Amino acid sequence: MTTRTEAPEAPTAGWPTFLATLSGGGVGTAIGLAITVAVTLNPIFVTPFLVLLGRTLFLAMVLLLVYAAARAWPQAWGLRWLPAWLQPVVALAAVAPLATLAIYLQSTGGDFVAFVQAPGRVSGFMWIAGSALFLGLLTALGAMLREREAQARSQALQFELERSRFEKQALDARLSLLQAQIEPHFLFNTLANVQALVETNSPRAADVLKSLIAYLRAAMPRLHDGQPTLGNEVALVRAYLELMQMRMPDRLQFTVDVDPALAERRFPPMALLTLVENAVRHGIDPSEDGGRIEVVARAHGSGMGNGSGLHLSVADTGVGMDPHAQPGTGLSNLQARLQGFFGSGATLRLEEQPPHGLRAEIEVSP
Amino acid sequence: MTTALIADDEPLLRERLTQHLARLWPELEIVAQARNGREAVEMFDDLAPDICFLDVHMPGQNGIEAARAIARRAHIVFVTAFEQYALQAFDQGALDYLVKPFDEARLADTVKRLQARTASRTTSAGDAELGPVLDRLADELRSRTPLRSTLQWIKASVGNSVRLIPVAEVVYLRSDEKYTLVAWAGGDALIRKTIRELADELDPGCFVQVHRSVIVNLRHVAQVVRGLNETADVHLRGRTEVLPVSRSYLHLFRQM
Repeated sequence: MTTRTEAPEAPTAGWPTFLATLSGGGVGTAIGLAITVAVTLNPIFVTPFLVLLGRTLFLAMVLLLVYAAARAWPQAWGLRWLPAWLQPVVALAAVAPLATLAIYLQSTGGDFVAFVQAPGRVSGFMWIAGSALFLGLLTALGAMLREREAQARSQALQFELERSRFEKQALDARLSLLQAQIEPHFLFNTLANVQALVETNSPRAADVLKSLIAYLRAAMPRLHDGQPTLGNEVALVRAYLELMQMRMPDRLQFTVDVDPALAERRFPPMALLTLVENAVRHGIDPSEDGGRIEVVARAHGSGMGNGSGLHLSVADTGVGMDPHAQPGTGLSNLQARLQGFFGSGATLRLEEQPPHGLRAEIEVSP
Repeated sequence: MTTALIADDEPLLRERLTQHLARLWPELEIVAQARNGREAVEMFDDLAPDICFLDVHMPGQNGIEAARAIARRAHIVFVTAFEQYALQAFDQGALDYLVKPFDEARLADTVKRLQARTASRTTSAGDAELGPVLDRLADELRSRTPLRSTLQWIKASVGNSVRLIPVAEVVYLRSDEKYTLVAWAGGDALIRKTIRELADELDPGCFVQVHRSVIVNLRHVAQVVRGLNETADVHLRGRTEVLPVSRSYLHLFRQM
């Protein structure tokens, strides 16, 4: 019995608990133990077997009732200061000798002196009270331990349920990432700008359409079309930033500084774009004055091959992330996507960029 | 002469609207072009144009908020790109609107309606209904912004930088004298917010206060073990610390 074990009483103790304790195999256990004790003690007792059995049965029933009552009304005993699990134990320890004494006093017609002076009776009392105490306490503690385990199991089950709910949410998030990459709002606003350029026969129209096509092709949900590379990702980021700059030329400046030698590096699709879109959505777009976005990718460690580490950053000088801003599906599972792709050596960190703005960094260890 | 204001944060779209209006309604004078809602309201107050074309999505003050400030002093035409919910409200409120990208025929309809109204000197939806419709729209728009009522990021100083920690990654928060310790997947950090402030701001479906000084993220709980004297311990997934649950918070786990 460890100190951790305790009686986990139901929040609504009382008659239901009392009856549950009695019906839940309690009576059967008590009768079984009473018969066992009577049979075991019979050879050393002069008392007829049936009388002995009557005494042990009576005692077992009294102890069962006391145990059930102690469990059902833990606060009614004037023992509030005792831990809940100890209360039935103390009650049993007190009642077992007293009830045995009552049996023996009844047999001597209430004469205490006659009882004390008969050595056979005293040793009989010792045997019965001792067995009652020993078996009663053992059974009670065993019952409480079983109950506690059952409760722990149901609690574990609850947490399992909660966890599978959270995991389902995560799965839903991944699915919606596949489905809803292109926001209609972005698409129609961009098309409205393209329309304006086309109508005025602007020479920029062709370039902007090229960017839009590159963006749409990359952002379309797809499973796998070859090895995703950093080169592809950077082209997508550039296309997106060019489109946004066409739309808000007075509010968005950007630089993309990526070592060309890194173009063939494996890179999870949409990972860098997610950070750039986030910078526009939460940094530049809400700002009347706009700002600047700087995208940098560098190798660190030795060489440019797939073995060297990677360091990427997206920094903006926008209004900064509002602490209540929803991260968005892409951003909230980006860390998991990076680790799924690169292993546990990949980290994502976001920090404030003084004096205002956000800096996001992806670090891939060599 | 009829005058108009155009407000849109995207210059190409302001120009396009100006050009089409010049062709469809040569007498209309565009007296102001605003880049956001605040500028629109300022320019309106200066120039009092008869008609305002307001983009719904603008930085700072948006088009709906600008319309509320201008109220019934001008004919308002909203310009929007695929604001599905807003479109319903526009229809119900009998407000004029253009959906980007719009064609010239659609703009011609709007111009005809505006010409009729300015000729008869009635304002658009010029009844008492305009106010409530705009209020509803503003609410609608606000509820669709990516801002949530509960805290999504915790800002914590780590070294020389201020990190933004997504609340989903926060395992628990524990008060530490004047500060609060944030334990998340990436380490520990101290922030100045108190446990009480955090308890009010965090999503109660996920973050549960289990002790006067401890808030735990249920997603990171492995199990809760009951202890002596009406207490319990919270064990965390992938961490060795054990957090206390005090008597007055134990009921949170009773139903489980």
